[in-house]
Amino acid sequence: MIRARPLLAVGPAALALAAALALVPPLRAGGSPGPIAGLGGAAVALYAISLGAPLAGAMPWALGLLGLEYLVSLEVRAAPLDEAAPAYAAAFFLCAELGWLGLEARRGGRPWPGRAAAIGAVALGGAALGALLLAISAVSFAGGPVLTGLGVAAAVAVAASLAWLGRRPA
Amino acid sequence: MTTWTTTASRRLPAYLALGGAGLLAGLLLGRPEPVVLAAPLLLAAAAGLALARPPDVDVTVRLDRERALEGEEVELEVTVSARRPVAWLDVEVRLPPGLAERRRSGDGPASLRAGATRTYRRRLACQRWGGRLVGHVTMRARDPLGLFTYRDETRQLLPLRVYPRPEAVRRMLRPAETQAFAGNEVSRLKGDGIEFADIRPFEPGDRVRRINWRASARRGQLHVNEMRPERNSDVVIFLDTFTDLPAPGGTSLEMTVRAAAALVDGYLRRRDRVGLVGFGGTLRWLRPAMGERQLYRLVDALIDTQVVVSYAWKGLEVIPSRTLPPKSLVVAFTPLLDERSLGALLDLRARGYDLSVIELSPLAFVRPGRRETERLAYRLWAMEREALRGRFLSMGVPVVTWRHGEPLEPALAVASRFRRDARMVRT
Repeated sequence: MIRARPLLAVGPAALALAAALALVPPLRAGGSPGPIAGLGGAAVALYAISLGAPLAGAMPWALGLLGLEYLVSLEVRAAPLDEAAPAYAAAFFLCAELGWLGLEARRGGRPWPGRAAAIGAVALGGAALGALLLAISAVSFAGGPVLTGLGVAAAVAVAASLAWLGRRPA
Repeated sequence: MTTWTTTASRRLPAYLALGGAGLLAGLLLGRPEPVVLAAPLLLAAAAGLALARPPDVDVTVRLDRERALEGEEVELEVTVSARRPVAWLDVEVRLPPGLAERRRSGDGPASLRAGATRTYRRRLACQRWGGRLVGHVTMRARDPLGLFTYRDETRQLLPLRVYPRPEAVRRMLRPAETQAFAGNEVSRLKGDGIEFADIRPFEPGDRVRRINWRASARRGQLHVNEMRPERNSDVVIFLDTFTDLPAPGGTSLEMTVRAAAALVDGYLRRRDRVGLVGFGGTLRWLRPAMGERQLYRLVDALIDTQVVVSYAWKGLEVIPSRTLPPKSLVVAFTPLLDERSLGALLDLRARGYDLSVIELSPLAFVRPGRRETERLAYRLWAMEREALRGRFLSMGVPVVTWRHGEPLEPALAVASRFRRDARMVRT
């Protein structure tokens, strides 16, 4: 089979973005960034192994560690609402996509313009959705079991919608 | 009707798992940031699932021609018409052995709009002669986010006949006997023709224009010129297809077919009648005939030549008698390995056929071995072969060894020289 020339620059770009994302939480943590930086370092190392090996199975774990680092940093510094979260989420999604593209590039695949546009659109849409969620969460509601139940119902509805989308006939 | 096989990317379960973990973390921590972090992942998964539809396409396969010479390239066109948009579609052609794909730059995967048609062109290099069926196409498509891969195979098989590129042969073996029809071969018999043969004293009934006045004046008696007519001959190409000896540059059967194609072409150009006998596991024959139609028949028969293993004993009696006309020249291509073909060739000579053997020596395909016993066995085998050649030579049959990588013409020249010298000895 004749393959297209692989786009080998994707891998380093993805790794640079992952490293930048891993640097953000320790820098913002201030006082004791050690454990957070450790989590970030582990995430980047796993990400690099996944790209270099290549080992597709390690990619979700690297992304999970990266997300965990961000959440731990929020908890450690007991931050109020993080207004940069939508931007971080968009960058996190781009990092994930670049990682998968890097893995595909190792197998000779190339991204196509339509896919790049779709990824960009999803990243922007995700950031907008995140901003909307943040805005909604900034509004002070009187909490309680009803609101928590609504939240759980929303999460279940999201999962059910995804399951329905996955099972529907073509 | 296409049936697509759908494969989900590993990204989809990863995104769903990470997104689900984000939602759960949001609930447990009572913070919106985990949900915000999960939002693009879940959005991508939702968009991917919503857009996931197998392509709806029509595929047409076309070859620019049905016949090609070995070494030439043919173009295969795969035209895909999309009824609904396809984000990414690539076409791969699965080729039978002997053909190689040369993909042009810029003819890779592409997206198709609804109603759009795209033609994927592939150059197919014909590396080996033979009859083949081309048109086994594998299509791979992906959705806009690349979360799903769709695969389908379609078979619109088109025949492609690749003819062997003949060996360059200018001088053919000249038959000992000619037939009755006009041709390019100067007959050994005397008669009406344009080739001078001899002079003889004038006899009543001789034409006046045949009188050789100069010889008559010198000898004081009328002499006439005798001429040789130009006749055609019957040539039968005998292919020993019991064994095929593999080599990196091509098997003995490939050599045989190329050489046979050259001889067929050469003899038919001389207006000889040419026939074919494929003597092997399966017996195949074509009666001698002349003309362009016979050339195509013979070449078509040649490219279908293959080795079929058989242990059944075969002799000349299985060959139809009209396939081997009397006085025909039989040119045999054989590795002189199978007892059945050896017996048939010796029988042909015993029946008076004008036989020449082009030996595709198996010695080039076999190594002597390292151990003393192996080398001894090899030497014994080589001596046996030498004795076999001697047996043929003693019967007046030239046995010429044609080795892999060498041109055929020198081998034919050696055979011609032997035939000429043997004839002189006989006369």
